[in-house]
Amino acid sequence: MSVVGLTLRVAVISTLIVAPLATIVAALSWRARSRTIIDAIASLPLVLPPTAVGFLLLQVLSRNILFTAAAVVIACAVMSFPLMFVAARAAIDSSDVRYFDVARTLGASPLRAFSTVTLPLAWRGLLAGVILAFCRSIGEFGATIIVAGNIPGRTQTLALAIYDRINMGHDSEALLLVMFVVIAALTAIVASELLIRHQRRRASR
Amino acid sequence: MQCRSDAKVTALVGPSGSGKTSLIESIAGLRSASGRIVIDSISLAELPPERRRIGYVPQDVVLFPHLSVRDNIFYGGRDRGRFDSLCHTLELVPLLDRSPTTLSGGERQRVAIARALMTDPRLLLLDEPLASVDQPLRERVLMYLRRVRDLDVPMIYVTHQQFEAVALSSWCIVLRDGRVAAEGRPREILFADPSSGALENVFEVSNPRHEPEKGITRVVTSDGLELVLPHDRVADVGFPMIVRISAEEIVLFGERPGAISSRNLIEGTVTAIRETDGIVDLVVAAPSPIRVRITRSAADELELANGSRVWLAMRSRAFRIVG
Repeated sequence: MSVVGLTLRVAVISTLIVAPLATIVAALSWRARSRTIIDAIASLPLVLPPTAVGFLLLQVLSRNILFTAAAVVIACAVMSFPLMFVAARAAIDSSDVRYFDVARTLGASPLRAFSTVTLPLAWRGLLAGVILAFCRSIGEFGATIIVAGNIPGRTQTLALAIYDRINMGHDSEALLLVMFVVIAALTAIVASELLIRHQRRRASR
Repeated sequence: MQCRSDAKVTALVGPSGSGKTSLIESIAGLRSASGRIVIDSISLAELPPERRRIGYVPQDVVLFPHLSVRDNIFYGGRDRGRFDSLCHTLELVPLLDRSPTTLSGGERQRVAIARALMTDPRLLLLDEPLASVDQPLRERVLMYLRRVRDLDVPMIYVTHQQFEAVALSSWCIVLRDGRVAAEGRPREILFADPSSGALENVFEVSNPRHEPEKGITRVVTSDGLELVLPHDRVADVGFPMIVRISAEEIVLFGERPGAISSRNLIEGTVTAIRETDGIVDLVVAAPSPIRVRITRSAADELELANGSRVWLAMRSRAFRIVG
């Protein structure tokens, strides 16, 4: 099942890149004047057809990256970035700016106040963003097939493998893969729910 | 507006919307303001909040909910000696491992004050610290605030309760529509003028003479007025202390009454009368000003006018101990 291994590895790496990056961009847009522009650009992959994003990446990426696992990671990262960004921005926005303000009167620089007060208070929303980005990476299809092709053992992720099996008429193999995706997604969602509940119990102690 | 540093506590009073909170947020650096803010001849206006060294406790306190009480206090600074002494002064030791979400209003205030003082501030700003505290606990929190006053950090104290201003501050600034409307000693500013709307009479009392067999304690106010308080309420309170009585709790007599259960009977002269919508507010010189609120009907029956001689009856239990 190298398909599953590759898919998980790609999704984890892509999420590890996207989570901090999208959070930083969301933080920068928090009190920026050019906020609308930042928001629009960061959300673009969410509203474009994935194949359009794939086409744009094809123009930008160098030849020796195309059709490798690295290209898959890049496609997944670009496509899942807006989900993490939107979630992080909503989480930061909904946190009370007064915590940030008070932290600064206590001597914290804006960076320290943000990272020690605003971010920890927004962790639930950030976690939701991470889960979304991770699941999006697992399911990415349109951009991946354009920049990485569908090479078994090298760039064929779950979503591509399912597509392949259906095309070849191997429905029972497709079903197996689909079941795996369902289990993986459910596990991620349930795990985050448990984590939130555990945290809440700790906080109310 | 000028605050004198010899006044340890400056009270900032005024109706809501008069600009009290805006003013102290500007001092703390959380609101951009035009104009100059200078402390110890250092101009603050150009400094970001983290470099101003102004301790600020907003009205809603804003403890960090994801940190324990201990970590909240240490957020203001890491000085262990200062931490220990503040925890001792404000009696925080039993609370240190709790989550701020489990604290009462008064406990939250104390934690927030300790946290602000950890930064070794040049000035401490308190925005209506008693507003979020339930009535029975206010007097206790006020006791802690008096301890903080004795730590020698100058304080600006925003309030709309006159008795708090009198109990804590030695200088009082009245804001109205964003401007300084009056300033002076809190008692003179708040009680001499019937239009200030003050409904409380506040006295600093000392020289207690306990008479437990009669159930009373005799005290003397800073103006030399002798008052009788219930012994059981003041038996274990430190003096001097602040007591207050509402203007609505005082009974007026046109002539000296005979046998009466009120332990305080004071003779005085009406010096100011102000009527609004059937409510009559009086200032009675006894000789220090005492405010009384009665109905139009009562004022008519007593035929009150400026200069009328009256007797004020105050039940000893109508006095509230501020601490």
